[in-house]
Order: sequence, then C-alpha cells, then structure tokens
Amino acid sequence: MDLENQSRVKALAEEYGPGHLMVVLGGAEAEASGLAAETVTAGDPAYAGPLTGVQLGLRVYHILEPEVKAAIDPQVYEEQVGLMEMVLDVDAISAEVSTIRQQYTRY
Amino acid sequence: MTFATLRGAAYVLVHTPDLVAYGSVPSFERARATDFGQNFARSLRTYDEALTYPPHQAFIGNLNPGELAALPRPHHRQAVPGGRFGPRGEIMPQDEFFLWLKAVDVFSLVELEETFLAGCRERFAAHPLVSDTELARLGDGSPLSSIEERVKQGAAPLFHRGRLVGCVRPAHEHDHTLAAGVMLENLVAKASGVIVLKHLVKLTATPASSLDYLIETSEEASGDENQRGGGGFGKAIGEAAGCTRATAVDLRSFCAGPAHGLVNGAALVKAGVFGRVAIVAGGALAKLGLNARSHVQKGMPILEDVLGGFAVLVAGDDGVSPILRTDTVGRHRIGSGSSPEAVMRALVTEPLASRGLTPVDVQAYSVEMQDPDLTETAGAGDIPRANYRVIAALAVKDGHIDRSALNDFVTSRGYPGFAPTQGHIPSGVPLLGHFRDQMLDGKLQRAMVIGKGSLFLGRITSLFDGVSVILEANPGRPAAGALPASHAVTRLALVAHDHEAGATEVERGARLARQRHGLDVHILRPEDVPASITGSDPETRLQRWLEQLLSSGEVQGAVASHYNFPLGVATVGRIVPPGTGETCLLAATTGGSAADRVAALARNAVYGHILALALGNPRPVVGFLNLDGARPALRLVQKLAAAGYPIQLATSARADGGQLLRGNDLVAPPCDVLVADTLTGNLLVKILATFSSGGARETHGWGYGPGIGPGWPHLVNIISRASAAPVIAAALEFAAELARAGFVATMAGEFRKLEDLGWDALLATAQSPPALTASEPPRAPDGELTAELAGIDALELEAATAALHAAGIPTRSAMGCTGPTILVRPSDLERGQDILRAAGYA
Repeated sequence: MDLENQSRVKALAEEYGPGHLMVVLGGAEAEASGLAAETVTAGDPAYAGPLTGVQLGLRVYHILEPEVKAAIDPQVYEEQVGLMEMVLDVDAISAEVSTIRQQYTRY
Repeated sequence: MTFATLRGAAYVLVHTPDLVAYGSVPSFERARATDFGQNFARSLRTYDEALTYPPHQAFIGNLNPGELAALPRPHHRQAVPGGRFGPRGEIMPQDEFFLWLKAVDVFSLVELEETFLAGCRERFAAHPLVSDTELARLGDGSPLSSIEERVKQGAAPLFHRGRLVGCVRPAHEHDHTLAAGVMLENLVAKASGVIVLKHLVKLTATPASSLDYLIETSEEASGDENQRGGGGFGKAIGEAAGCTRATAVDLRSFCAGPAHGLVNGAALVKAGVFGRVAIVAGGALAKLGLNARSHVQKGMPILEDVLGGFAVLVAGDDGVSPILRTDTVGRHRIGSGSSPEAVMRALVTEPLASRGLTPVDVQAYSVEMQDPDLTETAGAGDIPRANYRVIAALAVKDGHIDRSALNDFVTSRGYPGFAPTQGHIPSGVPLLGHFRDQMLDGKLQRAMVIGKGSLFLGRITSLFDGVSVILEANPGRPAAGALPASHAVTRLALVAHDHEAGATEVERGARLARQRHGLDVHILRPEDVPASITGSDPETRLQRWLEQLLSSGEVQGAVASHYNFPLGVATVGRIVPPGTGETCLLAATTGGSAADRVAALARNAVYGHILALALGNPRPVVGFLNLDGARPALRLVQKLAAAGYPIQLATSARADGGQLLRGNDLVAPPCDVLVADTLTGNLLVKILATFSSGGARETHGWGYGPGIGPGWPHLVNIISRASAAPVIAAALEFAAELARAGFVATMAGEFRKLEDLGWDALLATAQSPPALTASEPPRAPDGELTAELAGIDALELEAATAALHAAGIPTRSAMGCTGPTILVRPSDLERGQDILRAAGYA
C-alpha cells in the first residue's frame, strides 16, 4: 500500500476510532490485496510507511468477497463490479484477504 | 472496396545481459545498498538460456505462440529447441549487436576495443544482412586505454561478460539530451530497428529501395535541448537499411504507437498517398530489467535481458495478403473514460458494432502480449489473460456468450503472452506475423489487433490511449473449396435499408445469422456506398455497389429486400406445406421469368428444378398447380423432357390423378417443386409467412429464395420489407447454404444444357407472335436507362414497349417490386408516361 494511502488510513483511524472503520480493498491481485490487508491490520510489512509497526487491526474486506457482495444492492453491484468479478480471480483474492482478516482483525 | 494489406512482419530480440544495468530499475536499485546489487550479476542469463527460452522462440516464429499454452509454467524452467534464426527474424547475441551499434553510428560516438572488435568481425561479416558499407564502418577499433579514458570523461561504458569492450561518447559537452546515456539509448533503438527492418525486407522479398514511407513507433526521443523529441529515428533507420526512396516520420503514443502506426500506414496506402509503408520500432534500453527487483528477490533469472524490435510491411491489395479493415478502427476517445470496461468498449465492442459484429465474430485477438513469466512475480499478473478476460466479460455482459463460456472464449480466441516487456513491442503487433500465416493457410478469417498506451506517465495528461484495427483474410483468395470446411466462413451482403420495421430489425436478423449460423454478414447502407460508384439515384448506386461486391467475390451472396432483376429472372422460394411439414420449393415467388404467361410457367418449372438440383436433390419431381396456362406450359416441359432434359413431372394425389395439381396437392404436395405464376407464388409465401403473426410481419420461412435465370451470374436471395429478423436470418442461412453448394455454377451449367437442347426455340412456339415493329428499335446505352415506368401488366409489356419504340424512345425491361417495369432515359420519362397512359397500358 502506498505511503499516501497509509497515512490517510492512519488519520481516519485516529479521527473516528479503529472500531468504527472498515477498509474495502479493490486490488486486482491476490498477493497485492493480501499485503494491503496486512498493512491496515498488522502494520506495513515493507517497513516503509506510516503504518510501520502500527497494528490498527481494522476490519478489512475485498470488494469481491461474498460478505461485501451480500451487503450491496445486487443491481448496483452488477453494474459497478460485475465485469471485474468475471475477470479477476475471486477465490484467490477472497482466500488471501480473509486469511489476513481472521489472523489480525480486532473488531 | 479494396483495403491495404499486411505483407509481412519481422521480429528480432537482442540478448544484452550487460546492458540490463542501464535499465531504469536496475540502475536505481544498484545505486542503493541492497541485496539486489550483490545478486544482480549472478541472476543474468547466458545467450543459450535466452535462446532456448520458449517465449523467445515463439517471438521469432520457430514456435507457434498457441503451443506455449501446452508447456508447463514457469517457462523459464523449460527449454525448447530452435536456433538463433526463425521464419520471422532472429535472436542476436550481445557482442555482434555492439558491432551493429558501431556500424549504424554516423557521428563516431561508439568506440569498440580493438581485440574485441577483431574477435567478432568475422561473425559479424557472416551475418546474412550485413552489407559492405556496414563492414567498412567498423574501422579497426581503439586501444583499451583510450576507452578507459573516455569512460572517465563521461562516456557510457559497454561491457561484454563483465569486460570493458567499448563505450558511447556524449554527443555534446553540456546538452543533457545528448548525454552519453541518452545517445546509447537512441543508438540501441536505431540499431535494433535497422536489424529488424532488414529482416522485413528480406522475408517479404521487397527491395529496401522500393519502400515509400517509414513510420517509426518506438518510445524514445531524439533531439537536442531545443527539441527533446524532435524525431529522426525513422529516417535514420531507413538510411541505414538502404531505403533511399523513402521518407519517414516518428509517431508516438507510448505503447499504443505501433497500433497507431499500423492504422496510419494502412490509411496512407488505401488513400494512395504511399504504395509501400513499413512500420518499424527498435528496442528500449530503459526497460531492460523492469521487474528485475522481484525476479532477483524470488531467486529467478533476470528475464528482461532482451531488446525487442519489429517491422511490418503494409501495401496495396495483392488479392492474397490479409486486409487491414480501416473502416473498423477502434479508438479510445478523449471522452471515453479509463475504466477497463470503458477502454475495451471503445477499442473492441464499439468498432465491431459499427459493422454489426460482436466480439464473438472475431476469431483471434492480439492484445498486450507481455510474457507472464516476466510480470506475474512482480504482482502485475498475466497481462494478456487479463485483457482477454475483460473482452470475454463484455461479451457475457452484452449477452453474446453465456457466463459459463467465458473461459472458453479466453482460450479459443486468446494466446499466451510471449513478448518482452519492452513497452511498445508487446502491444498488439507481436501476433501480426502469426495471424498473416494463419490467414494465408485459410485457418483464420478475422482477427483484431489492439494497442494501448499509458499517456499519463508523461505527466501532461491523466488520459489513457488505445487504438485497434481488424485484420481479415483476403476475400480475393480462391473462394469456396480452397478453405477447409471447418474454417469456411460465408460472407454475405444484406440490403434492406427500406425495411418497414426499421434498421434495428435488419440488424437483429444479421446478428441472428451470425450467432446461429456463424455467417459473416455485411449490411450495405445507401450512405456507405463508395464515392467511386456513380448512378442517378441512391437505389441504383446501392445496387451497383452490391453487384460489384458480388462480381469481385468480396461477398459470396446477398439477401435483399429490393432488387431490380432483369426480365427472365424469377425467384424460387422454399415453403413448408401445412399438410406434410416437410420443405418444398415454390417457383416462382418474385420477378418474372418471361412476359408470356405460358412461357413463364414453363420456365418457372425449370427454375424450380434447377434450385432443387443445387440443393442436392438428384432427381427432383416438379408439379404444376392447375392455373390458367398450366396445361400448355406442362406440354412444353414434357417436350423438353422428351428432348432429353431429365425433369420428372408429378401426378396429382387425388383419386382421379392427372398431371395438374389441385388444392389438396398444395396442402400436401406430391412433388419437390410446386409451379405457379409469380403472383400466386408470392401470395402463398406471404400467407404461410404471416399466418401466425396477424399479417403485418412475415415471421416464418426463408423469404422468397434466390433469383434464377439464363445468364444471371449472382446469388441474390429476396426477402420482403416485412420480413421479421428470424426470416432475415433464415434467408441469410438459405443463401449461405446455396453459396456453399456452388449454386451459381449449377445454375449456369443447367442453362447451358437447356440451350443445347433448344429450349428457347421450344418456348417460342408457345408465345403469341411478337408485336410488329416497323424498323430496328431505338437504342441507348443501358447506363442511361435509369428512369422507371411502372404499373404495366406483364401480358401487355411487349405491346407497351413497342408503343414506346414507335415514338423513338429506347427502353430496357426490368422487374420491379410491383411487377414489370420499363426503364427509359430520365429525359424520356414524362413523354413515355403520356404515351402509355394514352394507349391504356398504365
């Protein structure tokens, strides 16, 4: 996750409290999505950004995960996400992000 | 309509492991104190490793790119046989390439160490593309000490296997755009461009001096500090390759450059501005080792150790080479948006829809063909696969394929990536050579080439870019039969601009025909008629265009809602009689086989017989409906049979028998062909077609069938302005069935037999004596006879014609939609109408 996004997530968590925040990812790759999920839960694994050593433990999902899909109006979801849902590897992305979530989320 | 054609495509790779350090990523990473620097050198591949790397062999044509899919991944763990040279180019080793750098350097910026030069000279001279001029330009080389001194003063060193073997000097003292590194970058692009252009010239057997225009489409910038990207690559490459008659231009649009080049080149050829245009680009030094960081991190070899180059030749239509459909160019518009869907809609579905096609109508796509071994470890995924999946997903979203067919679409219409990550090199162009070969072999009919570019990287816009063009097998190649049946795609024209339900219904019909029957349907519209076709009115021009397409073989047949057949040509339809549910032919349904009723009925019987033969029935049985004139017509056909024409006549199924068919026979015909006059036949088709729709729409059947007549050279099936989409689709499939069956040839053959048997003389015995004319009728060229006198009864046509002749008006007869018409000169129209009205004929 780039440094700018890390600092925005950190600022939002401070403003609203980490328990009131959820991060929804939209990355196209499982590995990159997993790293982003790790950054907002266990801290920046690259030890480079503002979230280095900061364990926010935020709730984090990928937009393609079934839990998120279930929470969105199917028509809107189909319109906005339908195409990329067909294109991307939903299973691999869901597996990666949910593993990180189960391991590190505190809320 | 003619298009520019793709005459050939050449590809080269240059293995330059010691230049990888100059890549933007490796030079940045090596400057930092990380593990990367320590592991860098040991991660580079040898020339042999680069040579046997499967994607490289696919790039130069030794391996069919489709076959890469069968090899286990990752490909860098596989080695395939295949040499340095392939049918489309070569993989050049580094040391020889350094000599090419020197050979194309006209400003003495490159210096090579003397023993290195001597060690390579012989191999360089033995290269099939090296000329004496290049050999002479090598010189004798410089002592190592002099090169070391130059490097100290700021020259860019050239290493080979870690040893200093040369350098590139800066071209100016302080101008950073002419610094040593920039000059190296530009000379690398120039040299690899020269090598690949020479390959193109050789493999297309086109003399370099015969090229008219070069479009250089790399991503480098040549100029000085006053014009950093001034240009000059195109002419520099052309000069070195011996293109003395050509001029050139550098065209840029990041990675989309080559696709823009292809479209521009094809357009210039089509417009007649230039005869032979080459689109060429050399490799990108800065992109070497683009993902080296992750390759090294994962313990892989650094796979981005090759420079790429391509060259494509575009020229006029040779009747064989694939055509570049410049009428179907996709473009990412400034207002298109940048989401994957918006981009692919602009590049794929929009241009296809403009010709009534869908993504399913394209058998193969060339997208961004990056080798996934290079990108996957860096988190960028499999780029070609992602592109194919977006196209497939659009086809699902638009309802052209089922969601479960998405993966099939990707596998059957896509290819594994095999091009180096050299920006413009993988973008659309890598499959051009393969597509050309496939089309020449009759294995591929239509492909799309897509180039995309990331303009936003230049920080003057946040826009994206892209352009696409369709490549199609040349319709001029030997038609039908020459192609293996499984790959045969029948091309048909559809003319129905005056349809009662509007253009949408016609488009739906065409789409159904494509989807259900895999046909290649082209809708002809009055506004698309080429300017070169003249005529007094849009109808005439449209018909002439259609005839031109039919004559040139560009389409194998047509379906039309309006067509002025000459008198003598009538259509024979196919119906499903309600009593049997089996098909039966009905002759005739539109047009007019003769002005005389008896002769017309007799001719209709023969026309129906011919269509049945063409459809594969070896001994068709023909039955006359008991209409006025049927009896003498039957006698004529019996005489024809007696003269040796193998036509079988039916017997009524009614208890009292007889050879004329009655009402019950119509419900369940005892024959393969029912014979009626045109109006009766036309009514029968209409009643059967509209039976369940209430009459306003023809929803059943195949329309009115093909026109048949002596000397008639085309396959044109007729529908009505009320034919619904399913009938239009069925008419197209009927026409395709006839095209595949060689209908036109069967028709011509049968009419030759009839002529030999004296059929015309036989028919004349039935006709009333022709109206007497005092002298030779007045004549005028057919092209002038374009105004239509309509509303004349068929039985009075000859008398009406005679009346016009007597008044000195030249005529030509034709069949219109409402019956026979007489064509006259527009200047005679008003006088002709008066004469016919006065005589009571109209």
